[in-house]
Amino acid sequence: MKVTITGIGIISAIGLNVHENFQSLKSKTSGIKENTNFIEKGKLLLGQVQQTNDELEQQLGVNKPISRTSLLGLVAAKEAWAENKPNNLIRTGIISSTSVGGMDKSEHYYSNKLKGKQADISLIVTHDNGNTTEKIASAIGISGYVNTLSTACSSAANAIMLGARLIQQNKLDRVLVGGTDSLTSFTIEGFKSLMIYDEDWVKPFDQNRKGLNLGEGAGFLVLENKKSIQLTKNKALAELVGWSNAADAYHQTASSPDGKGATLAIQQALDQAKLKPAAISYINAHGTGTPNNDLSESVALKNIFKDKIPPFSSTKAYTGHTLAASGAIEAVFSVLALQHNVIFPNLNYVTPIEETQLEPETEFTNKQVDVVLSNSFGFGGNNSTLIFKKV
Amino acid sequence: MYYINACSSISHQSSFRNKLWMNELQPLSGLSTLISPDYKEFVDAASLRRMSTILRMGLACAKDCVQQAGIENPDAIIVGTGLGCLTDTEKFLKNTIIISGLIPPTSFIQSTHNTIAGQISLSLKNHYYNMTHTQNSLSFEHALMDAMLCLNEEKSSVLVGAADENICFMEELAKEFNFSEIENKLTSGASFFMLSNTKNNTTKAELIDSCAIGLNALTNEEVVADFLKNNHLLLSDIDLVLFSTYGTQKLEEVNKLVHPIPVLSIEKYSGYHFTTAAFGMHLATEILNQKENLFVQNKAPIQRILVYNNLGNKNIGLTLLQAIET
Repeated sequence: MKVTITGIGIISAIGLNVHENFQSLKSKTSGIKENTNFIEKGKLLLGQVQQTNDELEQQLGVNKPISRTSLLGLVAAKEAWAENKPNNLIRTGIISSTSVGGMDKSEHYYSNKLKGKQADISLIVTHDNGNTTEKIASAIGISGYVNTLSTACSSAANAIMLGARLIQQNKLDRVLVGGTDSLTSFTIEGFKSLMIYDEDWVKPFDQNRKGLNLGEGAGFLVLENKKSIQLTKNKALAELVGWSNAADAYHQTASSPDGKGATLAIQQALDQAKLKPAAISYINAHGTGTPNNDLSESVALKNIFKDKIPPFSSTKAYTGHTLAASGAIEAVFSVLALQHNVIFPNLNYVTPIEETQLEPETEFTNKQVDVVLSNSFGFGGNNSTLIFKKV
Repeated sequence: MYYINACSSISHQSSFRNKLWMNELQPLSGLSTLISPDYKEFVDAASLRRMSTILRMGLACAKDCVQQAGIENPDAIIVGTGLGCLTDTEKFLKNTIIISGLIPPTSFIQSTHNTIAGQISLSLKNHYYNMTHTQNSLSFEHALMDAMLCLNEEKSSVLVGAADENICFMEELAKEFNFSEIENKLTSGASFFMLSNTKNNTTKAELIDSCAIGLNALTNEEVVADFLKNNHLLLSDIDLVLFSTYGTQKLEEVNKLVHPIPVLSIEKYSGYHFTTAAFGMHLATEILNQKENLFVQNKAPIQRILVYNNLGNKNIGLTLLQAIET
C-alpha cells in the first residue's frame, strides 16, 4: 500500500515554519549562535528556536504547565496538519518522538527542590515522553492511536517508519508522525561530558571536526493512504518508499568502525523500496560532526555506494543536532529537496576525512532530485534510513 | 497467529525462573521487595556495577526468554517503558546541578529510554529491528502491537517486553501529590516474552490481539465492545479479566464494566508502575496453563483472558490471550 506524504511542518533555529526554513537553507544562513540562555554553562554554540515559551504559549493558546518540547512539537504538528479535520471514516493516529520529553520543566523543578527553594510540583507531570505527545494530540484533536517512540537521535525517523508500517498493514489511514526536542541543560551537559560538544562551529564530514552543536526544534509529516486522500483531497507532496531500522550492536554510544548497523539500515531500506543505489539523487546524512559518527557513516556510504556516492550533505550545521527531532526535520528537508529540485549545502566543511576522502556538497544547488535517502543514527546503536520519492 | 513461546518476569513475586511461582503468589504488602536473581549470570561484573535496576531486570528477562525459547537471535527486539531509566536520569540531573566541572558521562549514556533495548541488542549481538515505545501507561501495549506488526511482516520471532523502575524520588512525589493509594506500593518490574508466528512445544498461550487507545473519546464500555467485536468475540467468551487501574474505587467500575465475568487485580500482585500490563500478560499466560483453577471458583478451565489496563485515566490498553489447544 502506497504511503503518501501530504503535509509537512517544521520549527527550528533557522525558521518558525517550512517557508522560513527553506529560505535559510537557500541563503546558507545557519541558526547556530552563541547563546546566553544557558549562560551559567559558559560559552555555547546552540541552535535555539527564536521564540520564548511565553510567546509560544500565547501563539498556540495552550494551558500551562506544558513543556517546551510539547510547544515546539505543536507548532510543527499544526503546520503539517493544516486543514485536516477529524473524520470517522479515516482511522487517524499520531506518533511523536522525543528524547528529553518535559526535561526542560523537570530540571527547573528538581534544581529548585535540591536548592531548598520553592518548587512548582505541577511541572513534573510534563516529564514523561507520552505526556509530550498527549498534549500535541489533544490540541490537534487526535485520539486513539497516540504513541511516542524514544530511540535517542533516530527517534523521529522511527516514528515516520512506524507510521508507514501502520498504513502499509492497513491499521491506520492517516497518521501524523514526527519528533520534537527542546534544549535542556541535561542534554548540553550530557554531550559535554562525552567530550563531543564542539566549542566551535560544528563541521560535519570535515577532517578537523570535534563534535556537535546542539539544537532544538520539531518536524511533523502527515502520511496518508489512498482511501484517506480520496476523502481529504490533500495534495501529495512526496512518497515514502523505503524504511529500515537496524542495530549496530557495537557499543552503547559509539558507532562501529565498519559502519555495520548503518550499512544494514541503508541496504534494507533500498531493498524495501526496490531501488538500486544508483537511483538515489541526494543523501541527507546524519552527519552530527562527531569524529565517530561521520567516519562510521562515511564508511557505510562507501560500503553501499562504492565509488559512486550520490551528492550528500548534513544539514546539522544549520539547525544544530536536534536529537529526537532531527529525523523529522531532515525528512521535511528531504521533501523540500524533491519539491524544489535542490540539494542543500554542508556548511563549514573544508577538508575531507583522511580515511574516507568523501566530499559533501558545499553549495545550494539546483539539480533534478527524484529520490532522497535520509539517515538517522542514535545511541544504543539505533540506525534508521528513510527513502523519499517524487510523486 | 501470534504465539507466546517464553515469558520471564522479575517482580515482587518469585516469578523469575520458577515454575511454581503461581503457587507462591502473595498479595503485595508494605514489606515486600523486588525479588532479584543473581545478575552475574546474565551480565559481566564490570558492566553490572554500572547498571541500574531497570537495565539489570531488562537484560536478565531478555536473556531468560531467549534461553527458554531456544532462539539465540530474535528477528526484532521491542521494549516498552513508561518512565525509562529513572535512576541514571536522576543521577545525571543531580550532577548537572551540583557539579560545576566535568561530569562523568556514564549516567547520561544510560539515561536514554532505549538503553534497555540497546543493551539487549549488544549482549545478544543482534543487528535486527530495535525499538522503544514510551507512552506512559500504554507503553507495553504499543510495544506489543509493534511486535504483532513485525510478525505480520514475516519476522518469525520477536522479543518484546516492558520494564520500569521505582526511585525514592517517586515516593516523595506520590506523597506530595497525595496519591495515598499507591504509597508504599510503587514498584519496579520487568516482563519479557518471546512471540512467534509458529506454535511449537514451548508455546504457552496464544496472543489473539492487543490494542492501545490514548485520550479515549468513547466510553470504556464501547472500547471493550469494539475490541471484542473486531476479534469476533462476545464478553461471554471471556473467562477472566485481569485489570490494572489506579485506586480501589475502580474495582466496582471494572466489575460493572465486564459483569458477570470474574475480575482479578494485577496491581494486587505487581504493585504500581507504568507497565504492569506486561506482568498481567505473564500472569494471564500462567493462569491459562494452570491445571487447577485457583482464581475462579466453580468454573471450568480458563480458556480466554482479557488484560484490561486503565491505569491512565483516559488511556485504555486491551490484550486478549487464549489457551493453546492441546
